[in-house]
Amino acid sequence: MTQANSNGSTIRASTVESEPPTIAIKSLNHVYFDYQSKKTVHALKDVELEIQPSELVTVVGPSGCGKTTLLNIIAGFIKPTEGQILVNGRPVNKPGKDRGVVFQELAILPWRTVYRNIAHGLEIQKVAKEEIERRVRRLTELTGLEGFENHYPHQLSGGMKQRVAVARTWAADPEIILMDEPFAAVDAMTRQTLQEELLSLTVRTGKTVFFITHSVEEAVFLGDRVIALSARPGRVKADITVPVSRANRSWREMSKNDALQECVEDVLELVRGEATASDRSGGAVSADRTHEA
Amino acid sequence: MTTLASTAHLPVGERIKRIVLPAVPFVLLLAVWGSAKFVFDIPRGILPDVISVFRVPFTLTDQYLAHTIASVQRLLLGFAVAAVSGLLVGLGAGLSRRFAEFIGPLSTFMNAISGIAWIPLAIAWFGIGTPMVVFIIWNSAFFLVLGNTILGVRLVPRVLEQGLFTLGASRFDVIRHVIFPGAMPHIVAGLRSGLGFGWRAVIAAELVGATVGLGQWIFIAQEFRRTDIIIAGAFTIGAIGLLTDRGILAPLERRTVERWGMAGRAT
Amino acid sequence: MKPDDVAKGRSAVGSEAGTAALHAAAVPGAVTRVARAGATLRPAAPFLIALIIWWGAWALLRPPDIILVPPNKVFSALLDLVRQGLLDAFIKVSLERLARGVLVGILIGVPVGWLLGLNEDVSRAAEPILRFFNAVSGIAWLPLMILWFGFSERTISAIIVYTMAFPVIFNTMLGVSTIPNRLPNACRTLGAGSLRIIKDVYVPGSFPSVMTGFRLGIGYGWRALIAGEFVVGGGGLGFLIFNARTQGNIAEVMGGMIVLGLLWLMIDRLILSSVEQNIIGRWGLMRT
Ligand SMILES: Nc1ncnc2c1ncn2[C@@H]1O[C@H](COP(=O)(O)OP(=O)(O)O)[C@@H](O)[C@H]1O
Ligand SMILES: [Mg+2]
Repeated sequence: MTQANSNGSTIRASTVESEPPTIAIKSLNHVYFDYQSKKTVHALKDVELEIQPSELVTVVGPSGCGKTTLLNIIAGFIKPTEGQILVNGRPVNKPGKDRGVVFQELAILPWRTVYRNIAHGLEIQKVAKEEIERRVRRLTELTGLEGFENHYPHQLSGGMKQRVAVARTWAADPEIILMDEPFAAVDAMTRQTLQEELLSLTVRTGKTVFFITHSVEEAVFLGDRVIALSARPGRVKADITVPVSRANRSWREMSKNDALQECVEDVLELVRGEATASDRSGGAVSADRTHEA
Repeated sequence: MTTLASTAHLPVGERIKRIVLPAVPFVLLLAVWGSAKFVFDIPRGILPDVISVFRVPFTLTDQYLAHTIASVQRLLLGFAVAAVSGLLVGLGAGLSRRFAEFIGPLSTFMNAISGIAWIPLAIAWFGIGTPMVVFIIWNSAFFLVLGNTILGVRLVPRVLEQGLFTLGASRFDVIRHVIFPGAMPHIVAGLRSGLGFGWRAVIAAELVGATVGLGQWIFIAQEFRRTDIIIAGAFTIGAIGLLTDRGILAPLERRTVERWGMAGRAT
Repeated sequence: MKPDDVAKGRSAVGSEAGTAALHAAAVPGAVTRVARAGATLRPAAPFLIALIIWWGAWALLRPPDIILVPPNKVFSALLDLVRQGLLDAFIKVSLERLARGVLVGILIGVPVGWLLGLNEDVSRAAEPILRFFNAVSGIAWLPLMILWFGFSERTISAIIVYTMAFPVIFNTMLGVSTIPNRLPNACRTLGAGSLRIIKDVYVPGSFPSVMTGFRLGIGYGWRALIAGEFVVGGGGLGFLIFNARTQGNIAEVMGGMIVLGLLWLMIDRLILSSVEQNIIGRWGLMRT
């Protein structure tokens, strides 16, 4: 298996001129078997997607359409029923430290202080103590966690906990970061702050980010591209490039910028139909709107 | 844990697993026991034949039934008295802060002196036999039911009570419709552990202070090196413990606590 | 089986006393001192009243000494035991037995609980038989243990270990299996291997539950110890009170019972709950 892999990549390196996409999702299908209702659930259908280096791709779709499933497959937590995920040309079959995850529900460790949570990935990678200290300090600064290093998670507000989760993932310095509705559970004011912080963090660190949300505004505000998924079984319904560069976005700008507002309207239009659509399988969506060439 | 009752719809592999997996350790145990006896030639005074243990209820039917019935009767009697008295005092304490403050520390201390520690004094008071054993069961279970009832009543949210009062309910209505059901998860938990401790106390009390009962039977059997009776008795004790818990209290928990969607799981 | 509610009942009572003290502290001025004294006395009040009732009942009924003795006689009986050096010797014997049994019980219970918690098939296979043997209380094995080991220390150890192991196994299993998947998953994305995940996630994550198991197990083990000492003898507080009864010395019986109660409260409060408060409380995972 590893033999074949290394062979494959060397061949690819010599034959393909351009860099492979950071993430390539190929004809992905996933079917669950639900033991409770003894029915199969077709969660993802023929999903095709490519994500380029340093891109921030957001995924919107109605709840239950398979967003988390897609992320879990990319992360390597579950094996897809059909299809393949390639990361830098190599197939994914298990979790790895090249793909950091910020979970939908909080997944920081209650028995570690803020500092030790952020340092966890570095400890695991056996990074030297001084280096850990340096990197944790930088991230606590970037995420506004200074002064809370010795607090335990339960002593923090929801927004602060989410910052710890983000900082921990960044500290481990993965190439790709997968985020599953990370800000869904925080209040609206805090959420805007966190979103702006995330933007500057991604711009500064140049990570490739796969960001799931059910909020269209959030998707457009954060993304280079917005992928709209259909209701279950989830398929890529549209792939929309946001017309304003990520580097100069803020919520103040957002409300004034007509291009962004129009983009939000476009995506809303697409998603609105899906939220009411029931579980109609089959029936290819012909009205795919693709802003991209 | 999903219930075993709903196996009919599962895929075949899963269904087989559910039946086979739990049986494996039992079969293994019997096999090890049987072959150890055969290989090492262990005398009957140390370890009986597997078969002889399971024959005890059939060969010694009269004795077996007499001892079992005596123990179960004591358990049910003592537990019933403990449950009723514990609930009444507990509800009283739960409703009156003063009473709770008075009785709380005392009940904590009495709980610390477990039922078993009362056996010598109970023998002095009641002599050997049923009244003594019943007292010990009551003693073991009462303080558990009491403590949990007080706790349960205390944890019923005030707003529920106030909500009913604003609808013009009487004090009695509130107790019946809010306090009692609200405290139910803890009350049931108290009853369950009370029953568990009570049954253990029955065996201990019978061991040293009764003329009939399973505890006494296995203790006497020890003097005659009747290991078959000892193990048959011990298995019966286990089976009755499980049956009373599963048969009486787990259904009560399902009927109330789980149906109302409150915390609690029938383990 | 949820005897963890013994612990619940206890903590409720504890908080009761706590609020009483708080109320008293809030009273201003000269009243404060009186109120504070009242607050510290208040938990003692029920015991004083119980003592008065006990004494009153004795004074009224004047039962023979082999049925009931007044508190002062119990007190002097205890004093005698202390003077003879018997009380501390018996306490030592009992505590040593408990400690030995508990240690072995934990050494067996925790790894088994871990195994069951980590592997669903293993737990499905093992749970029914464990539930069954848990229901056969350790005390019920006393006769067989006597045949195997005689009236010896081993017999007592065996039933304590037996009694202790089950609650530890079940609670450890529960603690390990209820850790949400996202915690180990998150560590995996940080590059952690299985050993690392066990060390960083499962050990601390199951700790509160393991502690609950210890607490329960020690509670059960304590009762098994007393029963074992009744039957096996060889010193210890259980032996003390059982033996005193056969000699018709009710003062010693009651004195021994009070010592048993106080000793248990000390074990539970000082050792077990302080560990919970210090470690688990710091993580915000305290179970009430
Ligand atoms: N382990 C599972 N077993 C069976 N069905 C599942 C499982 N996980 C998710 N599903 C179902 O698959 C669908 C997609 O789930 P999910 O990916 O979590 O959706 P989303 O994150 O978009 O809300 C849902 O209908 C959900 O009920
Ligand atoms: Mg989701």
